[in-house]
Amino acid sequence: MRDIFLDLSIRSVRLNFLRSLLASIGIVIGVVAISSMGMLGANMQLSVKEQLSANVNTIMISSDVVRTTSTAGTPITAEGIDKSTLNDIKNAAGQNTVIPVHRTQTQFTIGSTDGRGSVYGLEPNDIPKFLTIDSGTNIKGGSDALVGPNIASNFNLNIGSRIKIGQDNKSVTRPVVRVAGILAARGFASDGINTDNAIIVPDTWYTDHYGDKDLYDQVNVIMQNIDNINQTEAAIDDKVNRRTDVVRIQDASSRLSSISSTLGTITTFIMAIGSISLVVAAVSIFNVMMMSVNERVQEIGILLSIGTEKGEVRRMFLYEAFILGIIGSVVGGICSLVIGYSVVSAMIGNTTYFFLPESIIYVPEGMIIGIVVCVVSGLYPAWKASNMDPIDALRSE
Amino acid sequence: MDCRKAEEEMTGPGTMDMPLIRLSDVSKVYHLESGDFTALNHVSLDIQENEFVAIMGPSGSGKSTIMNQLGILDVPTSGKLLIDGRDVATMSNLERTHMRRDVIGYIFQKFYLIPLLSAYENVEYPLILKYKKRDTTGKAREVLRSVGFDENMSAHRPNQLSGGQQQRVAIARALVNDPKILLCDEPTGNLDRKTGFAIMDILIGLHKEGKTVILVTHDPKIAEYAHRTIELEDGRIVGS
Repeated sequence: MRDIFLDLSIRSVRLNFLRSLLASIGIVIGVVAISSMGMLGANMQLSVKEQLSANVNTIMISSDVVRTTSTAGTPITAEGIDKSTLNDIKNAAGQNTVIPVHRTQTQFTIGSTDGRGSVYGLEPNDIPKFLTIDSGTNIKGGSDALVGPNIASNFNLNIGSRIKIGQDNKSVTRPVVRVAGILAARGFASDGINTDNAIIVPDTWYTDHYGDKDLYDQVNVIMQNIDNINQTEAAIDDKVNRRTDVVRIQDASSRLSSISSTLGTITTFIMAIGSISLVVAAVSIFNVMMMSVNERVQEIGILLSIGTEKGEVRRMFLYEAFILGIIGSVVGGICSLVIGYSVVSAMIGNTTYFFLPESIIYVPEGMIIGIVVCVVSGLYPAWKASNMDPIDALRSE
Repeated sequence: MDCRKAEEEMTGPGTMDMPLIRLSDVSKVYHLESGDFTALNHVSLDIQENEFVAIMGPSGSGKSTIMNQLGILDVPTSGKLLIDGRDVATMSNLERTHMRRDVIGYIFQKFYLIPLLSAYENVEYPLILKYKKRDTTGKAREVLRSVGFDENMSAHRPNQLSGGQQQRVAIARALVNDPKILLCDEPTGNLDRKTGFAIMDILIGLHKEGKTVILVTHDPKIAEYAHRTIELEDGRIVGS
């Protein structure tokens, strides 16, 4: 059997349907504001995180020793990582994939057009471990190459196209590579291998033409489990930087976490703005509850005089506030899903993350906040009702 | 020991010399901005169990004030009020509430039914207060029938009932928890004469069943039903 005080509250809400509805709309707006703002923030965070975290599981190791040069005007570059250091890194990295990288900048010519870009020398077997070949195949022959999508589209390259590498100098015959495949776009890669505007050649080809055998510009360690990234970094540091700093060890996870914490702050901020509407709603709920109490003074007098406990009168009015909260929050929750989905798809253009727990949690969260706001707004009116003097209350008309 | 004492307090002394209600030297003073107003001035009064007492007097004589004291809606400024052997002044708020619920039945001039509840629910309500659950014993229905209420109307809200029907519901509500005392504040004041006498017949019947009935009225014809009439003037008892 239902609590009679709940029945009384339901009937009171029904009796003043329009007024209750209007008060609840305030809650609806508040819940929608909080939930959809929260979901927008969460979706933003999730999509940025995914974009950034594609290669955030990579430790980048570069030499910390400056390469000295006697030629004036030559830019200062880092010394390479030598074979023994590479072996130390491999030992420290354990099961994780270690990828040594040669890199330089170069001019090249395709057909009769000159261009400029990076050249990476990689062991062909390493390439599929972190790069995606969009069309064509991986490097097979000694003078095969892969090209980034920007170069490919700017120079109309196809599989089988030839590229002359090096500065155009009439007196020297430049080496030629054949395009075996075109890489997928990578954007700004946080593992330091920016291939969109680069040519990838086999490491043997690279050392044949640029030297630097067993001397690498960068070594990447791709983690199997990103949670161990700090231990592995420490292990490498222990092993390699024993006496002096030989290598610099970096990863993108700190940058990712700072970006997502910034986004988190922004989300909290816009939710706080959204919650202003809940404050307004709280005032209107308070107002409606006070009206309900003031209209029912005589009824409260009757209830008190025939032996209703103060706590029971309080309960009756808190139920009423709770009912307003439930109505507002349920409607608000449903609206949040619809509005949140539209806002997310309009502003982020991607709703993949919308139904993930991190995002959808804002709907129940907003609803609970809405209900709590209602009940809190009802506290004073309920207290006032229960503390009326029954004689005065009965006498009022 | 304490237990027995407490039980004694709850059930009343049960001795012949202790009346059901005893006012000894009770005063009630209201502190108003215009000065103190003495509504009851050193009133002493005993009412025995199963008495039928009428309280009469002009407006402002203190009738309502004495009813509020008897109904434990208010406490005396000075003096002692014992109801069913218990001193009202020493009771906690909750104890007074429970006393109003269990020992006293109120019948008002304006009926004072709960507007959001049906006739049946109005009668069931004090049972819910007492037992904290809906009535499954059929008691509410039985009491409604006993006061001559048309059962077909029990789902109606108070505003859909005539004055006489409303007062029957109000009497049923007052009776449903088996109170010892029925406090009737001008119970026929809002009713036509014929209905008024019908209501009085119900009250007489209840008195015969053993209830203590205390009735405030202006109407000497109604007061004639009582065994004893107490006349108030300016907060004092001037005739008994």
